[in-house]
Amino acid sequence: MITRIRAVWRRREILGTLVQRDLRVRYSRSVLGYVWTVLDPLLMASVYFVVFTFIFKAGRVADSPYFLYLLSGLLAWQWFTGSVTDTTKSLIQEARLVRSTNLPREVWVIRCVVAKGVEYVLSLPILVGFVIYYLAVGRVDLDWELLLFPLGMVLQFLLLVGLGLLLAPITVLVTDMQRVVRIFLRFFFYLSPVLYGLQSVPDQLRAVLILNPLNGILSLYRGGLFERSVSWVDVGVSVAMSLLLVVLGFWTFSRLERSVLKEI
Amino acid sequence: MSVVISAKDVGVEFYTSRRRKMQVRDLLFHGRATTSTDTFWALKDISFAITKGEAVGLVGGNGSGKSTLLKTIAGVLLPDTGTVQVDGGVAPLIELTGGFRGELTCRDNLWVQAGLHGLSKAQIEERFEDIVDFAGPQVRAALDRPYRHLSSGMQVRLGFAVISSLDEPIFLVDEVLAVGDKAFREKCYTRMESLLAEGRTLFLVSHSEGDLKRFGTRGLYLRSGELVMDGPMDEVLARYNEDQGTARA
Repeated sequence: MITRIRAVWRRREILGTLVQRDLRVRYSRSVLGYVWTVLDPLLMASVYFVVFTFIFKAGRVADSPYFLYLLSGLLAWQWFTGSVTDTTKSLIQEARLVRSTNLPREVWVIRCVVAKGVEYVLSLPILVGFVIYYLAVGRVDLDWELLLFPLGMVLQFLLLVGLGLLLAPITVLVTDMQRVVRIFLRFFFYLSPVLYGLQSVPDQLRAVLILNPLNGILSLYRGGLFERSVSWVDVGVSVAMSLLLVVLGFWTFSRLERSVLKEI
Repeated sequence: MSVVISAKDVGVEFYTSRRRKMQVRDLLFHGRATTSTDTFWALKDISFAITKGEAVGLVGGNGSGKSTLLKTIAGVLLPDTGTVQVDGGVAPLIELTGGFRGELTCRDNLWVQAGLHGLSKAQIEERFEDIVDFAGPQVRAALDRPYRHLSSGMQVRLGFAVISSLDEPIFLVDEVLAVGDKAFREKCYTRMESLLAEGRTLFLVSHSEGDLKRFGTRGLYLRSGELVMDGPMDEVLARYNEDQGTARA
């Protein structure tokens, strides 16, 4: 596994080239380009905000200001779901490239994670904008835990690489996997603390939900923005799960590589 | 002379059964499918060694495993048995247009493709003009238009121009010479001859006897995945034609 990681690292320049190409393809195809990256989470945050504050009147399921809570969660979720969807089909979609270039095959998966990660970073200014607004009206106090934000990104990156390496080769061999993943993602959205906080979940349910690696990651993102401190238990679970998935991902990938290359 | 490509007992097994896709669990725990019986060996016990600067032509009918062997050498297919050792980089003239994206301009595509095959920014900058020159004036005129606007012949031209400008010591060529018009084919021949003259190793798959005789000094003859003959090109071709003749009769 170490040798594979090293092999990928040696070709990081190519990784950069591919990510650039991805972004260029994405932004050259649509007129609004960048706007879509931020518009989608922004609209979804507005919808959830309206539904849950005015219709359900769900007062205390999350930290306030609720809109900021939603936005911080949805932006990260967008990276998660976009990356899982893309990595799942990464080998199939680029089959012709995979067939004609002799690169460490992990590159095709990792580049999807990085490309979506770059989009995530590009969407952060919108979050910063709202933080400034809420600072101005005095509803937000930033604290030192803001420094933990990058740690959240590192963890999420590892988690996504692990998941991608696990799912990409399986999808080549079992095409139905794409549908399974799509349904799983829809479920997983509601099982993740995007719309609500884990603290407002009933105890029995929480015993299961606590295993979700996104808890810790979102907690790291939100620690500096909200009064609630980072939950180190959740972060611990996230670290363990992410590392486990990375190991499992690399292992699965190397075991299935031979068959995958014959299939595509 | 030093050996640059050495294959030892190489075998590649394909599944014919539709159930191959259900065997993920097997693959994970045993590293290969254990239950499937419907397999065939696209390559079986192939061994040979090629030294630097040799020009080798691969001869064989359809489905004899030529492309599979080429892919194994290119490293885009891993053998199930045996090993392939390749000393130095490989420039695969296989699936020439595989890395190109229709939405991007030809210029962008050229950069990405060259980068993917290991050229640094400075190297691409330096060779850019040569590559475009080689691809021809029509490609140059369309440099800033989306790649998909090119005709398929033009697309292959650009692909060939990029890959053949690489520094790799080994070149694999798979049937790509069949496309492109006569003038361009002549250009490709000249390019390949100059590559050979520089001491690079050439590995060629073709059904054209003319091409094989022109470039290949040594021939490998594959028949249903097995290496039946390894010798001078003329003799290998004679044997192949003989076999083809008897098959038809």
